[in-house]
Amino acid sequence: MSSISSNQARAKRMDRFMAATISGGGILIIGSVLAMLLFILKEALPLFIPPLSRAVGTLQAPRSGGVWLDESGKTVVLLSQSEGLKAMRFPGGSPLPIPTGGPVLPWRSFTPPNARGESLIIGADGRLFLTHLTWVKPPGENDPAQWTLDPQWQGGLLQPLVPSAILHFRVMEAGGLGGGSTLRIVASTSEGLSWVETSLEATHSVEWKKVPHDPSLHPTAAAWSSDGRNLFVGTREGRLVDLDPETGSAFSSSEFGEPVQSLGFALGQSSLLVGGVNGKLAAYQRVRVNEVYQLQHFHDFPRLNGPVLGFQPSQRDKRFLAWTPVQAVVDHLTTERRMFSAELDGPGLAALAPRGDLILHANDTTGSLRLWSLDAPHPEVSFGLLWGKTHYEGYGKSEYVWQSTGGTDDFEPKFSLVPLVFGTLKGTLYAMLFAFPLAVLGALYTSQFASPRLRNAIKPTVEIMAALPSVVLGFLAGLVMAPLLEKMAVEVLVYPFTILLLALLIAPFWGRLPQTFRNAFGDGREVLWMFPVLLAGLWLTSLAGPWIERVLMGGSYRTWLQTAMGVTYDQRNSLVVGFAMGFAVIPIIFTISEDALSSVPRSLTSASLACGASPWQTAWRVVLPTASPGIFSATMVGLGRAIGETMIVLMATGNTPIMDWSPFNGMRTLAANIAVEIPEAPLHGTLYRVLFLAAFLLFIFTFILNTVAELVRQRLRRRYESI
Amino acid sequence: MSRLAEHFRRGGAFVWLSGTVLAFCLAMILGLVGFIAAKGMGYFWPSPLVQVQTPEGPVLGEITGREPARVEEPAKTQFRVGNRDIYGQDFRWVLSAGMGPLQYPKEALLIERLEYGPFIGRIVSLSHEGQQVATGSSALAEAEKRLPETLRIWRTIHAIEKGQVGDLNRRIERARLSRKKQESTADPAALQALDAKAAALQATYDQLQTSLEQSRAQSKAWTLSLQTADGQVKELPLGSVVRLVPANAMGRFDKLGVYLSRLWEFVADDPRESNTEGGIFPAIFGTVMMVLVMSVLVVPLGVITALYLREYAKQGWMVRAVRVAVNNLAGVPSIVFGVFGLGFFVYALGGTIDQLFFSDSLPTPTYGTGGILWASLTLALLTVPVVVVATEEALGAVPRSLREASLAMGATKWQTLWNIVIPSATPGILTGMILAIARGAGEVAPLMLTGVVKLAPSMPLDGTFPFFHLDRKFMHLGFHVYDVGFQSPNSEAAKPMVFMASFLLLLVVIILNLFALNLRRKLRERLGGSTF
Repeated sequence: MSSISSNQARAKRMDRFMAATISGGGILIIGSVLAMLLFILKEALPLFIPPLSRAVGTLQAPRSGGVWLDESGKTVVLLSQSEGLKAMRFPGGSPLPIPTGGPVLPWRSFTPPNARGESLIIGADGRLFLTHLTWVKPPGENDPAQWTLDPQWQGGLLQPLVPSAILHFRVMEAGGLGGGSTLRIVASTSEGLSWVETSLEATHSVEWKKVPHDPSLHPTAAAWSSDGRNLFVGTREGRLVDLDPETGSAFSSSEFGEPVQSLGFALGQSSLLVGGVNGKLAAYQRVRVNEVYQLQHFHDFPRLNGPVLGFQPSQRDKRFLAWTPVQAVVDHLTTERRMFSAELDGPGLAALAPRGDLILHANDTTGSLRLWSLDAPHPEVSFGLLWGKTHYEGYGKSEYVWQSTGGTDDFEPKFSLVPLVFGTLKGTLYAMLFAFPLAVLGALYTSQFASPRLRNAIKPTVEIMAALPSVVLGFLAGLVMAPLLEKMAVEVLVYPFTILLLALLIAPFWGRLPQTFRNAFGDGREVLWMFPVLLAGLWLTSLAGPWIERVLMGGSYRTWLQTAMGVTYDQRNSLVVGFAMGFAVIPIIFTISEDALSSVPRSLTSASLACGASPWQTAWRVVLPTASPGIFSATMVGLGRAIGETMIVLMATGNTPIMDWSPFNGMRTLAANIAVEIPEAPLHGTLYRVLFLAAFLLFIFTFILNTVAELVRQRLRRRYESI
Repeated sequence: MSRLAEHFRRGGAFVWLSGTVLAFCLAMILGLVGFIAAKGMGYFWPSPLVQVQTPEGPVLGEITGREPARVEEPAKTQFRVGNRDIYGQDFRWVLSAGMGPLQYPKEALLIERLEYGPFIGRIVSLSHEGQQVATGSSALAEAEKRLPETLRIWRTIHAIEKGQVGDLNRRIERARLSRKKQESTADPAALQALDAKAAALQATYDQLQTSLEQSRAQSKAWTLSLQTADGQVKELPLGSVVRLVPANAMGRFDKLGVYLSRLWEFVADDPRESNTEGGIFPAIFGTVMMVLVMSVLVVPLGVITALYLREYAKQGWMVRAVRVAVNNLAGVPSIVFGVFGLGFFVYALGGTIDQLFFSDSLPTPTYGTGGILWASLTLALLTVPVVVVATEEALGAVPRSLREASLAMGATKWQTLWNIVIPSATPGILTGMILAIARGAGEVAPLMLTGVVKLAPSMPLDGTFPFFHLDRKFMHLGFHVYDVGFQSPNSEAAKPMVFMASFLLLLVVIILNLFALNLRRKLRERLGGSTF
């Protein structure tokens, strides 16, 4: 007795335990599967986190004419005429040792260090030096006291003329053997704009040349183009001119709208930043439009208060610092987004750390230094950039472009998802055009006309087709079908029509055959009769194709496409993808449609047939409309599959993100794009997150499609039950 | 005319039309499977070596394609001429117009070798350490006699290189790591012991290398002197010959022998020449391992979820919504699962595991990079809906009377489930598992992100402790198809391999599916019910 009760107790305990385990486990599994979506979203969301800035500290320092901030933000180097270089800790202010040497004090003239830490200095003896400031840090050493400042002095050539202000200089690394770097300097002198090209290793001084220019223009700022061949000049009259420094002839010019105060470059030196006396801020580029280079206005930024005093680009991405006496801002070139804005207490110099995450301002009058930090991990992405047209560097107009990586460090990443979404839709469209009619007609035949034995053979065959690995389909599409289609595009396009023609021709003949024969071999088994017809169609097409190509297209369909339609033919194109992906989608649409069609209540079809309708009329007018929600639902599921298909698209198209509806071009879909780019995407970088965003979109989109399909199917099921 | 119109109205023609469409679909499926089977299976049959005279000299090779004359282009024939080391490429198009009559020289020979693809030409003589032993056809006979011996030597070399050398390398690396760890504690005795161990390992390594050198020299002792169709001479050590195929002189049974031996090599050997030749055993093995780990993970997950949804959860709109959501996961693109696997399993989970347990070997990741565990987990997630749906269906189909009888006897709910319901639902669960395996075996996109590689240096299961290496990368049949077909520099020559790998993959998937479908059909016949 006791053993039974203890057994019962144990059984009860076990029951409770398993109930808890299974419920807990089930909820946990469902929860974690659904948490997938949240994780993907979590990885993508930091793209849209607004930039965060805060004031880090201030320091009272002697007045200076130039500041340079290293990337750690722990040290500041000041340049002044009387004292030369001076380094100190920030924000402590304790001085750091400075190597001796360099130009003789007091300096006659110098430029504030640019973003790379380069500065031109003319010493008391009139000798010109170039410095490239760097801190030499022992590995892993965080204490600035252990660092040494290396100014890397170069040059030392006596200058015949000491300009009143050096406007811009560019160090050009010499190509070819043996030549050192050359230096191009443009400066304003008492005679106007002058320039010189000299070498840092030169032993004798070089003549300064006057820049001839239109006397009605008064230059206020000038800058060298990246190759040093063109000189961009901004004038008091509000014009920007692209000059040949030798002849002074203008290649092109552009209206800025207000007197130009300063010029600068974003990273990569191809985007010219222009600031006006009233705070106008815009970007220009030299770009080829209609075969001619011209100076093109391509970005506008929110206006600043007061004259724009200068620019400093980040050495990491396309953000840049601009400042006026009362305001300092960091804007992003590509997205035109203002990432940082701070009020200033007077005119001075500002500097951006190489990584673009620290901003320093030195007040000219008081000498006080202020430092801000800026945390903006993904400034190159904005909602507008992902979904809208953007004017990129080197492009003549605003466009949708996807190009995530480039060969150089100063590459401007282009993250428009539009070409990818376009490619996805295009691939899906061609796949559905191919799959939908085939699958629905096939399902209609199977459910309404096929004999039961045939039906039992067809259904598993099609289900197997659904299970074919897409990599095999992709391989066939890319390596077998694409070359074949290239050879016989005309035949392939003619074939369906041949078959249709044959099918329509056969039917009347069939009707004349004796009833007994038809009953024994025909009705319900038409499919089997059609196999020889398909072969016959193949033979007919192989005869007709070349003839059509010769007569209608003048010999070669490719030249015909090129000349008559203006379309180029890619070997791996949308037709191939349409076939292969259609192949993957057909079984899905077929199975669900067939289920819906064959579940149409017998009472409906019997009533229709009893009223004298032919089987086809019944199928077309009664069964098909009744089951149409099921077919809709099948189409949705098929769409979902086509949208997310990766391997077929990856293998059967050229994966070029172009936007062109032509069936003879390829495309790049969201899914294929993820597969191509994510293995190379740095963890938690912008590309990585954009790809997660793409995955999120795919997830949501297919999930919605499938849910809609499921709901429609459930409603239809209830309707069938109620009939 | 009116009869025709009447005919159209009643739609007899449209029945034919829809029948045609279906026939077309079926023809596509059967054609595809048949095409792949024929292309894949046919490749191993030794094809005749054809010699033709062309204006540029004689061409000897297998005919692999013909192109009829098109608008501007004359008819061409494609020859696989082999001899990549001499001609630079394996294939050659010959204008059919300038081609002389087809000849099938008896002495033509195809030699499969370890490098540069096949050699096609004639054998001139066989030498042993510089001494000519035989010439002409007797040289071929002699070479065939010597071949098994050299092959055996080659296999030992290969096995030593792969097994023992790799094993020693790993042990040396482990000794280095533990030394690095000990250095911080600076115990001189322990350090010395470690150094001695490392030295011993190094000595074994050197010894092994010497014996390898000897074997290599031995395998080079016999050399073949060969001549191509256009008279170029080539010396080839017998040690780098895999197989001699004088295709034109072979009878049907000889050819069958070659066929079977090639088939066996394909299934059981390692790949050679950046996967374009040899076998695909590691890919088959990797696929099987991955699928096994996946099913071990997916079945409990799926069954518990289904049990919860069907038996324990309170039925209501909430459970219906969850059910719809889980079903719909089956429609979420596989690449999305791959992205999740990469972000969550590999980087988040794997990165954490590395920091906690494998910080010695950082920055080289152990689990923080793709591996078979992460790939299997990702695929398990991907296939969970398949198992859930099948199991739920099976649970729902268990007759009410059975449960009620059990409960009426005083059994608890769990006892009823365990003893009555689950046993009768087993075929359904099995169906789900098989369908999941079939789906998982064919997926490639998520694996590309979570641990599949084109060439894995070592298998996920081997003789070194702990035998089963969940962190290792692996090869996969589907990825093999993608990689060899699309990333290989010589994809034309590799095409047959791709066909064969595709065929294998297709075969596995189709057999699994047929099995599952059959099981499900039987289950439904027994219990009734429909999917729609």
